[in-house]
Amino acid sequence: MEPHGQLDGMILAILGAGPAHGYAVAQALKQRSDGVFDLPEGTIYPALHRLERAQLLSSEWATAAGRRRRVYQLTVRGRRSIAGARRDWRRFADAVEAVIA
Amino acid sequence: VSFTEQLERELTARRVRPAVRRRILLEYADHIACDEESGAGESEVARLGDPAEMAGRFAAELASDDARRTTRNTFLALSATAAALVVGQLAIGHAGGYRGPSNGRSLALWIPAILALLCAPQVALVSGLLAATRALLRRRVVAMPDAEVALIHRRCLVGAGAGLVTCAGLLLYVVNFSAELAGWWLWTQAAMAAAAGTGLMLAIRGSLRGRVTVGGTAGDPESLLDHAVRRLDASWPLQGLRTRPWPAAALAGAVVVIATTLFTAHAERSLVEGLERGGFEAILIAGGLTIVRGLVRLRARRGARPGPAWLQ
Repeated sequence: MEPHGQLDGMILAILGAGPAHGYAVAQALKQRSDGVFDLPEGTIYPALHRLERAQLLSSEWATAAGRRRRVYQLTVRGRRSIAGARRDWRRFADAVEAVIA
Repeated sequence: VSFTEQLERELTARRVRPAVRRRILLEYADHIACDEESGAGESEVARLGDPAEMAGRFAAELASDDARRTTRNTFLALSATAAALVVGQLAIGHAGGYRGPSNGRSLALWIPAILALLCAPQVALVSGLLAATRALLRRRVVAMPDAEVALIHRRCLVGAGAGLVTCAGLLLYVVNFSAELAGWWLWTQAAMAAAAGTGLMLAIRGSLRGRVTVGGTAGDPESLLDHAVRRLDASWPLQGLRTRPWPAAALAGAVVVIATTLFTAHAERSLVEGLERGGFEAILIAGGLTIVRGLVRLRARRGARPGPAWLQ
């Protein structure tokens, strides 16, 4: 299943727990959704870049196991926007629930 | 061929800047290495997705941001051009007053200067506003289709080009009357025109560099202004204008001509003067539409190749 339209909010929520690189974000997404969101992992990176351009994330290079990797973390603006993303999702989920249930 | 090699090829083909490309490739290489360390069994493409699609997503999003940034820069540079024009006009009375064709160094300088100062600002205004409106209406779109990005750049290019012609006209005017007008006015005009011209050249460079290759058509003006146009459409006698842009443009032109005629007649206390200026404005609008309609593509181009599914 692909999390249409909700990927950005979910990435922000995952990074709310602390800084992480792209691979860790992809794994956290898979684990937290219990494997339901098995989207192509490569789609994480365009989303991370987009969120950084929107100044919701910042990033810096780090070195791990002799490799360079980009580590992302929430900005103050990003932290604030998580609340908005949660609110939007609740409204959407409640509306779907009201129609389907 | 590995995933990163394919991705590099696709990013290069889509003209993603080298620094951004390097960063993207390093991130994917790290991801693949992490996967190998954890013993992932699937192929790289199965886990990460199609390299062409990944490159397309990056390219489309970067191009969309570039288009919006170029529009903002063009609009700022055109505002500086307008400021140069207005300040010059307002201050010229204190610098020696208007000069006619019988003054100045040469008619060869005066004629192109006057033509540039009369026509180019109108083209710049229309194109700049059209580009800014579209970019504004598309400000929340993550990745715009090819045709949309190209249209914004095209309008920016026409607007900035017309702005440059305006700046050139200002400089020609300064040179032509350099012996007759006050030095402070000449230097102020030259400096403002040069500053605006530099900004416009940078904006033009941005428009020429900004391209995207993911396909997709541009929305019609009607689809962009759907709400406003539907309301307009609903009110008699304007029904049908939504699907007929040229009568709509002619109507807007007629309103401008009538307003110009009435205001000028009132200000100059002369109906003849008002009719003259209104007629002149009508010629400028007709000429402007003829020149600009093809350049700025008032209607969406048909038959563009469709974009990928993720762009819809």
